[in-house]
Amino acid sequence: MQFQKELIKICEKYPQLKLNFHYKIWETDFLRFYQSQINYNISKTSISLSTTIYKEKKSYSFSLKDPTKEILQNKIDDVLKLIDQLPEDPDFVDLEDDLSKSAEKEKTNNIEKVSLKKKIEILEKFSSAVELYDFKIYGTFICNYRTLYIVNSNGLDKREISSPIYLECKAVNQKNEVTVLEAYGGERFENFNEEEFTSNLVGKVKAATGEVVDVESGEYEVVLAPRCIGDYLLYLESSIYVRSLDSKQSYFEGKIDQKVFPENVTINDNPSHPDLINFDYNGDGHIYKKLPIIEKGVFKNFFVDNYYGRKLKMDKNGAEGEALVMDTGDKELNEMIGSVKKGLYISSLHYMNFINRRETSITGLTRDGTFLIEDGKITKVVNNLRFTENISDIIKGITDIENKSYTIPYSSNYGEFGIYSARMPHVKVNGFKISSSTKTV
Amino acid sequence: MKKLVYDIINKLNAQNITYADVRFTDTDNQQIYFEKGKLKYFGSDMDSLALGIRVLADGCWGFAGTTILTQTSIDKTIKRAISNARIGSKFRKEPASFKKLKQVQDSYLFKPIEDPFLMDDKYKIDFHEKVAQKLVGNEKIVYSNVYTEFYRQYKIFANTDGTFVDTLVYDTMPMMYVLASNGKQSMSRTYPGHMNARRGGFEEVRKVKLEENTDTIIEEAIKLLDAPRIEEERADIIIGSGHLALQLHESAGHATEADRIFGKEISYAGKTFIKPAMLGNFRYGSDLVNIYSDSTNKGGMGYHIVDDEGTPGATVDIVKNGILVDQQTSQENAALLGVQPSSNMLASYADDIPLIRMTNFCLAPGKGSLDDLIKSTENGYYIDFTKTWSIDDNRNNFQFTTEIGWKIENGELKHIVKEPTYFGITPEFWAACDGICGEEEWDFQGTFHCGKGEPGQAMHLSHGVAPARFKNIVCNVKA
Repeated sequence: MQFQKELIKICEKYPQLKLNFHYKIWETDFLRFYQSQINYNISKTSISLSTTIYKEKKSYSFSLKDPTKEILQNKIDDVLKLIDQLPEDPDFVDLEDDLSKSAEKEKTNNIEKVSLKKKIEILEKFSSAVELYDFKIYGTFICNYRTLYIVNSNGLDKREISSPIYLECKAVNQKNEVTVLEAYGGERFENFNEEEFTSNLVGKVKAATGEVVDVESGEYEVVLAPRCIGDYLLYLESSIYVRSLDSKQSYFEGKIDQKVFPENVTINDNPSHPDLINFDYNGDGHIYKKLPIIEKGVFKNFFVDNYYGRKLKMDKNGAEGEALVMDTGDKELNEMIGSVKKGLYISSLHYMNFINRRETSITGLTRDGTFLIEDGKITKVVNNLRFTENISDIIKGITDIENKSYTIPYSSNYGEFGIYSARMPHVKVNGFKISSSTKTV
Repeated sequence: MKKLVYDIINKLNAQNITYADVRFTDTDNQQIYFEKGKLKYFGSDMDSLALGIRVLADGCWGFAGTTILTQTSIDKTIKRAISNARIGSKFRKEPASFKKLKQVQDSYLFKPIEDPFLMDDKYKIDFHEKVAQKLVGNEKIVYSNVYTEFYRQYKIFANTDGTFVDTLVYDTMPMMYVLASNGKQSMSRTYPGHMNARRGGFEEVRKVKLEENTDTIIEEAIKLLDAPRIEEERADIIIGSGHLALQLHESAGHATEADRIFGKEISYAGKTFIKPAMLGNFRYGSDLVNIYSDSTNKGGMGYHIVDDEGTPGATVDIVKNGILVDQQTSQENAALLGVQPSSNMLASYADDIPLIRMTNFCLAPGKGSLDDLIKSTENGYYIDFTKTWSIDDNRNNFQFTTEIGWKIENGELKHIVKEPTYFGITPEFWAACDGICGEEEWDFQGTFHCGKGEPGQAMHLSHGVAPARFKNIVCNVKA
């Protein structure tokens, strides 16, 4: 807190400059397990300061670990000797100037609340529950605690505290390696329902004990688990960030208020949704509020940040796509599966990559439980499959949406292991293109 | 800092633990980024200090890392590493073992020809601005960027077996990119491609001749807009070094990391189709295919005196004359497989836990030049410059797209093809290798971005490769 005050003083000291500071104090307690035992537990702490200094349209950025006031001052002095020699960025207009604040929330430090001992107690229960079926558990159980201060020369002085929990538990058949996944993400550990989690995991394990078969490449009717449709939408976000308009890589260029998807598809970005990990501000410090993205199939908004918003003369909105919510439909999951004559239930996706970002063409694989649906019932386990498809076509192919949604945690993994979530239902998709089999599970 | 590390080792030696290692890193990083001819980012992360302590106690590993180097924080970090191991051992059925290692005391301080951190910043900016300016101006080029990253890391490694090694390395990664559009579709070209990182300083930026190659990538990107795609169901393909490095990386490098065999990476990176019983008898490729891990070659970014648990650098055959013979291992996983450790345990920064990582992971050269290989190809494609990569959980089914390819007819390069996409099953693909170019074409490719582990670590590593030919490959995949 003291250091954040120093940052405000430095902004005041240099009225001729525009300074932008991100000061972060971050901890993680990170347990990784395999073969129903601990692999390792990691504790990490870090304090870092990211700074950008603008002198008119010239800028320089630097990061410092655990800086003192003196170290920061010395670095600024160095930058001031250099900055006049740099070329201008003519597109820079100003730093973020949205001073509105979210109601500051003190949050429980879940690293303390969910201790290593507590995590082990929970994992031992999962391990015992799946052992009966000759499965073992593999995965991660993570708690983070982060305090972020965003301070700039336009008077921004904001703080965001977060303490997300991320539990990903895979059960792996010890004979044939068929794998299933159950996950939890959130900030309120009291909402974690251990019994329900165990029951869901065991349910998936039971479904995964069937015969393993292969399928031919071709078009299939598929039921996508909530995690999968969430994954596709997260990839599609690369076309929703306003920067993609500037780099000519957006599928949605020129499509605002146009019908792009079926009428039953409505998607919002809602960082204050009660069942999701919440965020107060975007990376610029702009307040981050609910924003409609797709309304009844019509594309409504890009995620507009300060820099590209000003450059492209679009109103910035602070949205970042870290809390996507897809509206539920009117079908029971059983009804959706029941309506498939021959198709696939896909639990999870792996290693997706764009072939052509603007066209949304992508390749990737299924993972952690792919199942054959025959005559309306899940009958067999299928080898992991490769798909090569346009995401836009997958969403256009949605025929049914479940009447219930689920919280799916995601992680950015690198750096400070950012954890965020999405709220998604199951969806049924027609004409899903399987391009090959992996011949393995 | 050496005294700090000695002091921590002494404190750990006084504890009732099986083994511990301590790492300290001081990392500098500088990035220059031009977009559409304008400087968008110039920045640095200098003197980024980190400390990590890994402990084996009661048969379980515990780790703690920090960037806060006060005495209070260091003492807390030591305690957390030990308590993480001791508490973790309550949920550890098979105790981790660790053989006592031979002591190594040594030092390796790499000197670049041109130290980018001592060079005039203005000079570096001007150099890149000139390249960036050459990428703009053509109306069909709707977007371009130029990016170079410089990296320097000083590391101290010490363990309770008496090893103490310090290392200084410099790595550099230059890149440029153009996107052409005709209003209907867009096509991209990069240079020198995605495996563009090298051990060295600013001399590595000069070597790739960015400015001299701007016209080529602009011209190729524009031509790609109207180029045909591969129409054949199957074709013979010659893969250039830049993309072949990634093919090797994904379908042989990650597949032969031993931690995957035991399920230690299932939660994120995945498994492998390889099983312990395959060592010594499984046909991974044709007789021509020889793959090895070599952390003793100073030319690559994977060079080290010892890895991050004290195992001396080594050259280890992974695939010999097409047969899978070994794995990339740690001490613990080597013992489980009954092989010698291959010196592949590494972490990106000191506050990251070491994992099994590729070092200099290489495909041994064959014979002849690229021209010879093309001339001996009746009908096929020469492809290079990675665009899309994807491989399954078991490293068995992969699909790659490159930015560009050239049709080969009767031993000659003809017209270009856009987004050549091919698919394969790992051992079938390597078995289809019928030609690898010789030493004259063999060189190190490299990346800063090999991702693995949780929390994720991005590793610098190199691949020694020469262009190679693969027969009858499926290449008609389309979205």
